[in-house]
Amino acid sequence: MATPTASAVPAAPPSLSLPPSQFARLQPHAYLLAHLSPPPASNQPSIRANGRAPAQFRVTSANSGSLTHTNGSAVVRVGDTTAVCGVRAEILHTDDIASWSVSQASSGNTHKRRRLGDLGGKPTEESDDTYADAQDDEDRAHIQDLNLLVPNLSLSTGCAPGFTPGAPPSSLAQSLSHQILSLLHTSRLVRADDLRIWYQPPNLGREDLERHNEDEAMDVDAGPGAAGLSKPREIKAFWVLYIDVMIISLAGNPFDAAWASVLAALRDTKLPKAWWDIDNETILCSDDVSQARKLSLRGFPIASSFCVFDADAAAAYRAVVIPKADEPKRRGFKQTWILADPDGYEEGLSQERACLVVDKESNGQGKTVIVKMEKHGGWIIDTEDLRQLVSMSAQRWDEMKQILEQC
Amino acid sequence: MNDRRRVNGPPGGTRPPVFQSGLQSSNPSDRPRRQRQPAELRKIFLKTGLIPSASGSAYLEFEPSASLAANRSNPKSMIPPSSALKLTCTVHGPKPLPRSAAYSPNLVLTTHVKYAPFAARRRKGHVRDSSERDLGVHLETALRGAIIAERWPKSGLDITITILEAEDDRWWGEPPDSHDASWGIMNVLAGCITAASAAIADARIDCLDLVAGGVAAITEDVGASHSGSGRLMLDTDPAEHASILSACVVAYMPARDEITELWLKGDSSKAVLDDGDSRQGHDALIDGAVDAARGSYSVLSEAVKESILNAVAHA
Amino acid sequence: MVGPTVSLSGLRRADGSASYKCPVTGYDVLGAVNAPVELPARKDALRPEDATIEVFVKPGNTTAGVGEGYVESVLRSVLGSIVLGREKGFPRRGVVITLAIIGGEAVERGDSYLTILPALLHASLLALISAAVPLSMTFATTLLAVTPSGQIVQDPPVEDVANAVSLHVLAFSSKGHLLLNESQGRFDFETWESVREQAASICQGANPRGSDGDTAMDDESKDGTLDNFIREAMEDHLHRVYSWKIESN
Repeated sequence: MATPTASAVPAAPPSLSLPPSQFARLQPHAYLLAHLSPPPASNQPSIRANGRAPAQFRVTSANSGSLTHTNGSAVVRVGDTTAVCGVRAEILHTDDIASWSVSQASSGNTHKRRRLGDLGGKPTEESDDTYADAQDDEDRAHIQDLNLLVPNLSLSTGCAPGFTPGAPPSSLAQSLSHQILSLLHTSRLVRADDLRIWYQPPNLGREDLERHNEDEAMDVDAGPGAAGLSKPREIKAFWVLYIDVMIISLAGNPFDAAWASVLAALRDTKLPKAWWDIDNETILCSDDVSQARKLSLRGFPIASSFCVFDADAAAAYRAVVIPKADEPKRRGFKQTWILADPDGYEEGLSQERACLVVDKESNGQGKTVIVKMEKHGGWIIDTEDLRQLVSMSAQRWDEMKQILEQC
Repeated sequence: MNDRRRVNGPPGGTRPPVFQSGLQSSNPSDRPRRQRQPAELRKIFLKTGLIPSASGSAYLEFEPSASLAANRSNPKSMIPPSSALKLTCTVHGPKPLPRSAAYSPNLVLTTHVKYAPFAARRRKGHVRDSSERDLGVHLETALRGAIIAERWPKSGLDITITILEAEDDRWWGEPPDSHDASWGIMNVLAGCITAASAAIADARIDCLDLVAGGVAAITEDVGASHSGSGRLMLDTDPAEHASILSACVVAYMPARDEITELWLKGDSSKAVLDDGDSRQGHDALIDGAVDAARGSYSVLSEAVKESILNAVAHA
Repeated sequence: MVGPTVSLSGLRRADGSASYKCPVTGYDVLGAVNAPVELPARKDALRPEDATIEVFVKPGNTTAGVGEGYVESVLRSVLGSIVLGREKGFPRRGVVITLAIIGGEAVERGDSYLTILPALLHASLLALISAAVPLSMTFATTLLAVTPSGQIVQDPPVEDVANAVSLHVLAFSSKGHLLLNESQGRFDFETWESVREQAASICQGANPRGSDGDTAMDDESKDGTLDNFIREAMEDHLHRVYSWKIESN
């Protein structure tokens, strides 16, 4: 930092000018504003201090499946923000669910319907983007009520100064964990059917006869009605997915990177074939990779975040203090910029944030569906801006889909 | 009991999956074999400056063992044969000590080592356990001897290590009680020392020398004719050895030929080394660990050189 | 349909307080505001030219968890945009808002927090008014659900929330800005536009009202917009606080 100043001294007389890096620290707001609104005479385009155009996202790369002890893992780098996500699957026995037998009885009719559909293998509707209501409800019930998805995000990795390692999760980390969980639930990304471990009590076949008798003795409480030629399948256990995101490096916009890593890790996740073993009375898994199956996720939601930079931080403040502030006029000449994928420096200079999560139907060919849209912290973004942000997010979707599919 | 600041799993708890193949008595021939020479080290990938918000940072990765690489390129089993260390280290500081802290004429070093929940074969908790605290203390001792602390009075330096993938303590196929010690932690410590030294150099903190970590172990051949005959192995992957008698990790400064941290585990007194080596067990171990540290030093110095060249290029 | 019930300044020891009860959803929120106060523990977070806003949400049946952490950050951001933290006496000080959820359906793990967000926002706004914290504007906010049949329902009951295709919370300032939008579910932009339109008419009325707006409150809730409701609550409060002065005139 000292070298350029020293070399500049002989050329220019000593003045009050500062090297850019110091100007950026002392007057961050003016520094970013000077970049975004260059003098009209200079004919320069409006770019951000980091060299990006306002609507430009950072260079993103992704890599999946490199962590040994996970069922699925991914590393996503968005600029200098890096998120590592590992998915670990563990088993939840229905015996360990306190309310299982009760909830089974109360929701008996939906389960019956479900079983009928199941006997013919995987329901065909799942290949489409149409969702049957009954299945939907049950998905929600199982995944949400039984806590089958457990995402946690950690910032205590030394990712940025200010997050003490070892301290309980900061409010930002808690808020991000909740947003990931909430988005996993509302986007219904993971199908409950992938997480169920079924047990088909054996039929009265010749070779099974002996075992079946033994079976009957054990399954007395299953009810006498269950003893038929083809007994209905029953759920013996669920897979619980522990989705842990470590933000290794934080330089603004952790949510986009964290969500992309979760999505990539879930796409990479393989669950071993599991069955109820009658002899050991437990769930056993096969370690054969060829028998393991991947999760079939619903859709491909991609998050894009934005922030609003206001030319004069106090201008908006004054505008509202003076009641008759003429807002359309204020917006006539450009004084606010919506910046895509803000870095840490830009986040520090803006109050208003927007986050969109969009998906496209039928693998990118169909229309854009918004899964989540939020904005708060200011009053600049309204309908027209949001419409624009939706189309920007849709473009980002294409880009991210390509990156995540190649990893 | 329930941690309200995290997203919790099912209240009844969950069980890790039990593999059918794990129930049958496992075949010892399935154990991954060491493909390296006794004195051959695993390759180390070490890169500095990947985390710009920190004053110094490093990422370290061990080369996967032959068996792991084979399972990766051509996956057959859901159970990984062994694992390879992966960790990140960040250095924040020197920064002013908090107001509440007592006056210190020296740089106050804080080390923090945490496993990611998915780092090991068993899921790790979110709160640091005793072994993680232990690692932090060992790391602090190793680094304190190298840093010239009196140049930063009233300042603090935070070193944070996140382990993304840890070394195994033993082969997964062995019954859980077959090994008395957790050998994997020693490899982890050696990696922590090397990475932290690179990150400290990346943060431009004055040090006497770079500190490199190295591990050596005396292993017993399963088929050996008489018990107690051991072989000295450098950079042991615990999954590859049926019986480790004793292991040692050092933090070593090559330029000064000094050891800042020494950790010996196991009983090496009765071990008789093969091939005419007449050294005492522990002497041989320490020499071996220093040799291993010299090996990682060569990688470390390259990484630091790269960090400085980068800094010069940007200045 | 009955409008929400509010009462201001119920707590003696807080600088300002308000309780807000929504009869439709059953949510009952008690908010307390202390401002301006010193925040010695947050020295490094204090900005020299602005006030620091802290929000704490306490669920009725347990301690605060991750979901509360999220809703606190949303509230902090929305209230931060309307509190005039640069007024005299506020810079470097804190505005501490504590919201206790004392009635209504508990928000379970991973549930959407949107259902209770309007009640929390209204309670904190009224508590800020009661504490005489300078605000640049007031706001009104509402929850809308889009049912599978495409209908837009205001303040949906619990079962409608569970079946809704998408949920939206929108807040409009008294000057017509969109202050907050939180939408989740599956929807397209056209749906959101009609949601926004309906929310705007609930909050502010279909077309900006003149001076007659104030009288509409005693009629059906459709005629009385939420904006008017907030305004009336403020007027009542001022009448009570300045009764000595009004009476002496």
